Amino acid sequence: MTTSMKAAERRNVIIRYILILIFAIPMLMPVLWMLTTALKDNAAVFKTPPQWIPESFQWVNFKTAIESSAFFKRFGNTLFIAALCICGSVFSNMCVGYALARFHFKGRKLWFYLIIASMMIPGMVTVVPMFRFWTAIGAYGTWLPMIIPAWLAAPFNTYLTKQFLSTIPRSYDEAARIDGANNLMILMRVIAPLSKPLIAYMTIATFQGVWNDYMNPLLYVISKPDKWTLSLAIARLGSGTYGIEWNIYMAADILYFMPILIIFFFFQDYFMEGLGAMTASGVK
Amino acid sequence: MSEIANSAAPLPKKKKKKSFQRIFNSDNFQGYLFMIPTLIGLPLFCIYPLVTSLYCAFCDWDGINAPVWKGIKNFRWILVKDPVFKQSLVRTLEYALINVPIMLILGLALAVLLSKKVRGIKIFRVLYYLPTIIPGVATLVLWQFMFKSDVGLLNGLLRQIGLQPVGWLTDEKVVLFSLSIIRWWTVGGAMMVFLSGLQSVPGDLYEAADLDGAGGWQKFRHITIPVISPILSLQLITGLIGGLQAFNEASIMTGGGPNNASRFINYDIYLTAFNSSKYGRACAEAWILFIIIAILTVIVFKSTDAYVYYENE
Repeated sequence: MTTSMKAAERRNVIIRYILILIFAIPMLMPVLWMLTTALKDNAAVFKTPPQWIPESFQWVNFKTAIESSAFFKRFGNTLFIAALCICGSVFSNMCVGYALARFHFKGRKLWFYLIIASMMIPGMVTVVPMFRFWTAIGAYGTWLPMIIPAWLAAPFNTYLTKQFLSTIPRSYDEAARIDGANNLMILMRVIAPLSKPLIAYMTIATFQGVWNDYMNPLLYVISKPDKWTLSLAIARLGSGTYGIEWNIYMAADILYFMPILIIFFFFQDYFMEGLGAMTASGVK
Repeated sequence: MSEIANSAAPLPKKKKKKSFQRIFNSDNFQGYLFMIPTLIGLPLFCIYPLVTSLYCAFCDWDGINAPVWKGIKNFRWILVKDPVFKQSLVRTLEYALINVPIMLILGLALAVLLSKKVRGIKIFRVLYYLPTIIPGVATLVLWQFMFKSDVGLLNGLLRQIGLQPVGWLTDEKVVLFSLSIIRWWTVGGAMMVFLSGLQSVPGDLYEAADLDGAGGWQKFRHITIPVISPILSLQLITGLIGGLQAFNEASIMTGGGPNNASRFINYDIYLTAFNSSKYGRACAEAWILFIIIAILTVIVFKSTDAYVYYENE
């Protein structure tokens, strides 16, 4: 009885492994193909049948990719925008989240509902008026339309922060208040240290958001190539006046997502479990 | 209140300072002080553009001169005369309505497959999740190469097994399917959501079912699905909202082609506004999209509500 059950269990595990491996093939194949292409010379790209292992490894492709996409310039641009957006997002959302979680001011419920309702508006509805607005105040061709909104509390993060801060016991605040701390000190010295998982999550999500954003750079800085972000530069690489070779294009693409991949391996849990990781390691 | 203020008249200076401090420290004042980012941000980035775009939807607006009120002219043009809008709408709905259920089923199936804690499972979870980490633009560039009719891997493999190559992005009958493949490839995100859902199912429910002699499928159907149904319903709604707003695929990979077969509504709005400078008409289109999304969300919400099981109720 037990041996036959064990045998059945074993068989199930083996079937599971086989299925996992089968599904892993299409998941992995495009990335591997991209990697081998990035290392081929241009003639090998056109070979049939497809060649999986390059005859000679053309590491120089990455150098060419860096040069032809002005990689470091765009990398710096994107990093700069991301850094400002992260600071703004953490600062503004901590403030607003703190207000919503701790103060019983008039209209608190109304503002909270407005924040939730505003999350449901499709982006395209606001794009045209906002574009005209930024153009009218002379911010077209600058990064301001991408950075300023982060400093003014994006609704989803506000909602998240409010929910998280509500789980921190008020007794911590009270203790600090008795010691003579004012609200700002309580927020910075008591609440912020207890909100590390939330801040980590917001930092990573904001970084990822800026790195992936395509529509905003397309709208606001497309006419200024020295202000392009990496996402825009990579997307436009293929549609230049001169056609780019695919092996160079793939090399540039790999360089573009490498930073996200590196961050992923350091903060895996925040990516894979997202909000789950935040609540699991949060204050209980 | 005023009487108290009057009775304190002999000590005006001290009282004034005290009441200022009281106001400053009140929840009302402090609350609004910390709310400043939202007090500016919400009206500026949400209420103002919403009202403006609604007003401009009824106007002719070239973006340079002031909008001119024209009543329902834009809506009439879009719904009656516009040669591409209806097609855009149908293609977008097709794309979203076909992909959302497939993503749910695929995501749930993979989550079940990877839910058992066997050796090396963590590596496989990372592997399945990998396509989701790659930024959208990088993914689209990669698949643009995969789909290339001459040098693309997919046609290369087809040729190798003796089949006709497919015009993945150049055949208007195939292009939506091709773009769907990219969505399926990034199913890892949904999979992770379901995986954490599966882990939250209380183990004693399964044990009780074992005692009753329930089989694997029965347990899945009558325990797993009901417990994770709130997650399923939320994924359905967010998937639908996301799918209806597809933009990058059209903008980066196909340019809306071939023959407008992948001209999603969002991309159509973008072209109307920023290529044709018909800002009023673009606003009207955006509002039509908004209304469709709202209606679909309500329908999904209402129709799944009967099946969704909330533990606390």
